[in-house]
Amino acid sequence: MKRKISMVILNAALLFFSITTTLPFIWMLCSSFKTNVEINSQAQNFFPQQLMLQNYTNVLTKFDFLQYFINSLIYALLITVITIYTSTLSGFVLSKYRFKGRQLLFTGILLTMMVPGVVTIIPRYSTMQLLGWIDTYKALIVPSSFTAFGIFMMRQACFSIPDEMLEAARIDGANEFYIFHRIIFPQLQNSIVSIAIFQFLWAWDDYLWPYLMIRTGEKSLLSVALNLFNGRYSTDYAGLFAATSIAILPVVVFYIVFQKRFIEGVSSSSLKG
Amino acid sequence: MAHRSNEKNALGSRSEIILRNIMVISLIAFFTVFFVIPIIMALVGSFFQWNPLKLQFNFLGIENWKGVFTSELFWRSMGNTIVFAVAATVFRVILGLALSHALYSRLIRHKTLYRTFYYLPTITPMIAVAFVWKFIFDPQLGLLNKILNSDINWLFDDRYALIAILILTIWKDFGYAVVILLGGMYSLPKDCYEAAEIDGAGAWQRFWRLTLPLLKPTILFIVITSLISYFQTYIPVMVLTQGGPGTQTYLATYLIYDEAFVKYNFGYASALSFVLFLFIAVLTGISFKVSGKNNAS
Repeated sequence: MKRKISMVILNAALLFFSITTTLPFIWMLCSSFKTNVEINSQAQNFFPQQLMLQNYTNVLTKFDFLQYFINSLIYALLITVITIYTSTLSGFVLSKYRFKGRQLLFTGILLTMMVPGVVTIIPRYSTMQLLGWIDTYKALIVPSSFTAFGIFMMRQACFSIPDEMLEAARIDGANEFYIFHRIIFPQLQNSIVSIAIFQFLWAWDDYLWPYLMIRTGEKSLLSVALNLFNGRYSTDYAGLFAATSIAILPVVVFYIVFQKRFIEGVSSSSLKG
Repeated sequence: MAHRSNEKNALGSRSEIILRNIMVISLIAFFTVFFVIPIIMALVGSFFQWNPLKLQFNFLGIENWKGVFTSELFWRSMGNTIVFAVAATVFRVILGLALSHALYSRLIRHKTLYRTFYYLPTITPMIAVAFVWKFIFDPQLGLLNKILNSDINWLFDDRYALIAILILTIWKDFGYAVVILLGGMYSLPKDCYEAAEIDGAGAWQRFWRLTLPLLKPTILFIVITSLISYFQTYIPVMVLTQGGPGTQTYLATYLIYDEAFVKYNFGYASALSFVLFLFIAVLTGISFKVSGKNNAS
């Protein structure tokens, strides 16, 4: 009997928090099908009276959200591919090669993780201004082409590959580029997928730097374009809900598909602590 | 590792030398250009009147630094930041512990499903989520007042604005603590628990005497990373309150953002960012020292 009661209480508590985390998303989705009139009326139902696709067509045609979506997608994919490649290559060199200053270099890279973003963002802005890179994707991609976190994780992963395997390949006459692309890369598949997921999401989430760098409308990223609905005087909530749904829902679907990978990735990244 | 290959590796094949040199040079170049030089620029710039729009760069001496420490808004924002960071961290850890402990229980089924739900807000983009919450906090139409059956002007009332930012932050982040702590619990030695159970230790006792002490490293990891990231929170403030009402929700990083990219006072903002940097560095140092001591004893 006591067991039953605790079971009910525990499940109720767990269920409560599950509702808490999902309700805002369901509400957002429902509201994105309502008209502004319905959203702004006091006596509204949680679910829309009828499914209005008008907000979505509006957002996609009038505000060009399809373009922003594609921009964000290309940007996030590019950043992911580049950082995965540079991280794995750096991790390989920093773990499998012995050379003077290796530890110093690695420690230096780790220390950069401690520096708050606000310290470097101001000089970086000035640098981009001097280089004339403002309003180009170069300004977004080049400063993100290496990440200390990725290098750290891939270096850890490289340690799991036995030296003997590389030696054997070397004796067979393979050069280092072959070893990296044909042996290291396939061996690290799991770590690469886990980290790629996070890099992709972080890039999708990027806000301040793209906001500062990209000035022209059609080059804008989705995260920045959401500001279009945050007008000072009138807020088009129906449009905002459709736009945030476009920004959030693909991530949610992506998460549900890869959720096991996500959880593994998070758990393993904390074990370093 | 192997002595035999050590000698050969020290010389290295031609392709090894090429690859090594390319990577070492790229890494040094990248981290110098995007970290070392910017940090030096920020430090130097903090002694200048620096405005990128007017192309101003005039030496000021320590005026910016004096300005930081005599600014009421700076102290106000530091106070807010400390309250915010500590409260968000405490709630994150407590909720994380409570829920992961509940999920660990043998009485619970569908563990993966719950975990999936809890982690959901963490992966969604903050900027988009903040816009949704802005409407959730709306006094007339928002979801929160409807559910609580209350009439609170969350974002414009002095008493509630910072709490609103906290609610959003905790809601978004607690799932991360649940996932990490649950992972930690599964990695704990099973036989300890069996022994404790045989000795007649109740569930409550097992939690306080076994789980909590054994999870200390994981908890400290969450505390340290949370404090560091909460000292740098600004997006919810930017979307929800812009620091208001009054200066109630000015957080340190939001203040820096405001000075740098709204007012373009790059010099002053650089001085501010350095103060925050030092503060975070000291805080991290203390945390590591404390955790080191605890682990040793």
